[in-house]
Amino acid sequence: MNFISLFYRLAVLSFFAFQAAFSAGALEPSSVVDKLHLSLLETMKKADQLGYSGRYRNLDPVVRSVFDFPSIAQIVVGRYWKDFSEGQRTSFVETFTKLSVATYASRFDDYSNEEFRQVAEDKLKEERVLIKTELKKSNGEVVQLNYVLQPKGNQWKIVNVIANGVSDLSLKRADYTAVLRDKGYDALMAMLNEKIAHYTKPGGNQT
Amino acid sequence: MHKENNERQQRFLFLALAFAGILTGCATTNGGNENNDPAEPGNRVVYDINENLDKYFIKPVAEKYVEYTPKFMRTGITNFYDNLTYPNVILNDFLQGKVKQGFSDLGRLTINTVCGVGGFFDLATKWGVPRHYEDFGQTLGVWGMGEVAYLVLPLKGPNSVRDAPDLATSTLINPLFYIVSPVTIPVGILGALNERAKHLETTRLRDEAALDPYTFTREAYRQKRINDIYDGNPPGQGLDEFIEGKEENGVLIVE
Repeated sequence: MNFISLFYRLAVLSFFAFQAAFSAGALEPSSVVDKLHLSLLETMKKADQLGYSGRYRNLDPVVRSVFDFPSIAQIVVGRYWKDFSEGQRTSFVETFTKLSVATYASRFDDYSNEEFRQVAEDKLKEERVLIKTELKKSNGEVVQLNYVLQPKGNQWKIVNVIANGVSDLSLKRADYTAVLRDKGYDALMAMLNEKIAHYTKPGGNQT
Repeated sequence: MHKENNERQQRFLFLALAFAGILTGCATTNGGNENNDPAEPGNRVVYDINENLDKYFIKPVAEKYVEYTPKFMRTGITNFYDNLTYPNVILNDFLQGKVKQGFSDLGRLTINTVCGVGGFFDLATKWGVPRHYEDFGQTLGVWGMGEVAYLVLPLKGPNSVRDAPDLATSTLINPLFYIVSPVTIPVGILGALNERAKHLETTRLRDEAALDPYTFTREAYRQKRINDIYDGNPPGQGLDEFIEGKEENGVLIVE
């Protein structure tokens, strides 16, 4: 066995080892969405006893692990991202993440037999995947919830949620860039913090 | 009879003028801007008036309406108005070439009008004849017309040059329009109130989430309309237009 063939074998071996590590450690895109839905359902079922802060604590690690917040935050501010300083970027991503968790904690505040159901999975361009799901409410109303996921490191992460055809990313991008255009970074941050405070304060949406 | 004709002519004239006003308004303001909202300054004025009217008058009344009417009654009223406006859905089914859906909707209208006591009960859905949402704006979209420009209409709210003509077709095809009677106005007002009441939760969530409610509403309206035109399967859900922005020094630039 010469040196080149040994090198070749090692390379192939390490490639398969890497593949195995990736597939063993990483959840499938559909499982990532399931993880979020399960966590939401669990939190909703115990909503009252947990209260807002309990729901926030429960959801925080899951929401942070399933969403690709650095990418989402960068997309929602559009071309203004390049004008942000390093420090501004870091604090924007963190504030945006907190607001996202707070929104989930505030909205999923009761349980009346809602059900999540996965409907389909489509491949998109650039290794992205679309997971189509439905949220069935107790009154029979069905909300279409579609998730766009992309690989990040060795994990699949959610980059967009499309509810009944309305894309969260587009909505926020239009909204946030309008504020950045008219009022600037500090005003945007102040508004986001105000939203978080509104969810947190008694009489906000805290129950 | 003469009086009826006169009134009808007056209403036609009013609609025609309103429509002409919309068109000329756009022709003069359509300079094009990055948000495809050339009428934004005017739109924002109308938006603010609408919001204030809603905040101090329409929304409180709608909340009281929800408080004092039982759910089944509101559902019945919603069904009644849906049924009344359903001929517009059927017309647009056929205009979009959805022949099968058109006949299904024709059956739906018949079932609900005859067996559902003038539309108060939605038996058709129970019997497996589903409700569809079509209007003339969607038809124009299917025929290939773009939004042209976003518009905010007095009282009516978010709209666009493509969607505004539906106001004419849906009015002309609504049986209420042809009934000249003192009850038409209260019936119309109840319809509007009921419509507002259905959206109380949506507007609450919007107010909670939006930083700039005008922009938020515009974007949500646009996306909803595209979703409607494509019957729930719009292209480009991968949002490649955002994510495939060009990279500069490792920073994603999204225009």
